[in-house]
Amino acid sequence: MDTRRTEQLTAWAFLTPALVVLVGFGLFPIGYAFYVSLHKWRIKKEALIGFEHYVRALGDPQHLVFLLLGVGIVWAAYRLRSHLLERGLPSAYVYLAWGILLLPGLWVLFELGLNGLAATGDPALYNGFKVTFFYAIGTIPLQLSLATGLAYLLFKSMRAKGTFRILFFLPYVTPVIASAVVFRTIFSPHPSSLANRFWSTFGFENQRWLYESKSVVALFLQGVGMETWPTWVDSCFPSMALTSIILYNIWVYVGYDTVILLAGLSAIPRHYYEAAEMDGANGWQVFRHITLPLVSPTLFFLSMVAVIGTFKAFNHIYIMRTPGARESVDVLSVAIFDQIFEFHNAGYASAMAFVLFVAILVLTLLQNQVLGKRVFYGD
Amino acid sequence: MAIKGGKTWLVYGGLGLGGLAAGFPFAWMLLASFMTRGESLRRVFLPESLQWGNYLKAWQEADFGLYFENSLIIAVIQVSGTLLFSLLAAYPLARMEFRGRDTVFAGVLATLMIPETVTIVPNFLTITWLHRNMPFAWLNNWPAMTIPFMASAFSIFLLRQFMRGIPNELWDSARIDGAGHVRFLFQILLPLCRAPLLTVGMFTYIGSWNALAWPLLVTNTPDWRPISVGLQQFVSEAGAEVHLQMAGAVIATVPVLLAYFLIQREFTEGISMSGLKG
Repeated sequence: MDTRRTEQLTAWAFLTPALVVLVGFGLFPIGYAFYVSLHKWRIKKEALIGFEHYVRALGDPQHLVFLLLGVGIVWAAYRLRSHLLERGLPSAYVYLAWGILLLPGLWVLFELGLNGLAATGDPALYNGFKVTFFYAIGTIPLQLSLATGLAYLLFKSMRAKGTFRILFFLPYVTPVIASAVVFRTIFSPHPSSLANRFWSTFGFENQRWLYESKSVVALFLQGVGMETWPTWVDSCFPSMALTSIILYNIWVYVGYDTVILLAGLSAIPRHYYEAAEMDGANGWQVFRHITLPLVSPTLFFLSMVAVIGTFKAFNHIYIMRTPGARESVDVLSVAIFDQIFEFHNAGYASAMAFVLFVAILVLTLLQNQVLGKRVFYGD
Repeated sequence: MAIKGGKTWLVYGGLGLGGLAAGFPFAWMLLASFMTRGESLRRVFLPESLQWGNYLKAWQEADFGLYFENSLIIAVIQVSGTLLFSLLAAYPLARMEFRGRDTVFAGVLATLMIPETVTIVPNFLTITWLHRNMPFAWLNNWPAMTIPFMASAFSIFLLRQFMRGIPNELWDSARIDGAGHVRFLFQILLPLCRAPLLTVGMFTYIGSWNALAWPLLVTNTPDWRPISVGLQQFVSEAGAEVHLQMAGAVIATVPVLLAYFLIQREFTEGISMSGLKG
């Protein structure tokens, strides 16, 4: 009896130092950030102002209600569809009902909700969300496909596996500040910068890279000779500056993803391949039906890490942002740091940070729901 | 798995291309760090002669001596603290039965989702409070730079995964020999956990070397500012001196790459474990 008690006490004693740090500097700050966000707070605590900061950041609360309503309708439409399909109703009717519910739902969500919020809220916050979204879409799929390809090649190679692995991993271990400084000179607008030299070997015009706030699509239209374009061409695509940062990000993380995927590939039991070979499957079929499903848990893990990483991205953007293109590369975390360092507004920064935290939470849960189901965990 | 002869060039061609892309910026950084100012501005590929003086100049102009020392001290304290705390925490989570174990583990993992952006302001306030109410200084001193980072969910997770894979017979025989948990952990498990410990240490080392926003907040003199801050300030002040910037970048990179090359086998092994379920 007594030994069990000692056992419990020992366990907690072992845990205590780490838990003190994790709770004190990891969990407690969430509640504290919320507390700070409800106050006017510059250097010191001032008046309690309730949700004023949130209204300033997010916009008119009535649009927030619309947003949640829209989400609710879309979710209901989705549930209804799967429910009706399960009961065996003819799919044409089901999809008709689904569409009738879904379209107004989306309209409420985007037009009344999101658009209204963006119009009345803080442009820096919504711009931050938009840039973060571009950044995630620009990096994660490309980074993971490149890594899958490289891991597959590494897996197939007989010699020099170790050397390549070290080489691929170098960008990840290099201090971010140093490599960001190097990429700043590579993507400089100077006519003889490496990016411009590479670019001009294909006969293209020199670019301003990190200093360019125009979107890549607008630049393409300019390149083919158009002189004017609608404003959405600039606002709905990532800027050239952000694209340069995306390339840097891919350069950093492909190696890390490759090494982890290689471990995933190596863990696939050999007999699956042998069975496929006996059945006469070709290389692509083996990759598509054996390799890919069996590394999907690893891919899922990496995509989770990457999404959270996108929201955390700060150092390299802080180094690589330029006066000309700041707005087009300022992801949410950079916008929040500006509130801290430039405006010394701890209260408002905390409100923005709390919004970011909720966004990460929702996204992680969503990703778990949507992608998590498609992951094959074996038997 | 063996590959058919004809496809070998495809495999190595692809790998070579990837390797080139990964290594090219390093080559450019190194080459440019040896150029004269004129060469670096004209962006020639190879310097006429190696300008070793760039390193001396960058070192002196940026006061890298001080920043370097700061970063090394911070790294040593932070890495040893993290290793000790994570090892202690991972052990009961991996190998002991106690009430609330799963809840604690889930809570530890949940902290992975919290971005620094959310914690930075409240943590700064906490540190300021500690600074005022503790007998020793926190701000402008090593505690603010290291203590908040001495436990990380990733480190605890990695060590726990590894410890779970160690056979129970070891514990049984240690028990018969009269060893308690403390002795078992430090005398028997510790040497076995070499690879994950080195991995955790390396990650912490890289993390401490990368810190930028936090040091800017909790220090207002260069006394305890790390090399990342030094390099960032040097770069924004040096303007068009690309050759000196590159020398500075090399200086800041060498200590990390050196450590990486020394332990890269264990590190890759440890990293590979982190993606696997278990």
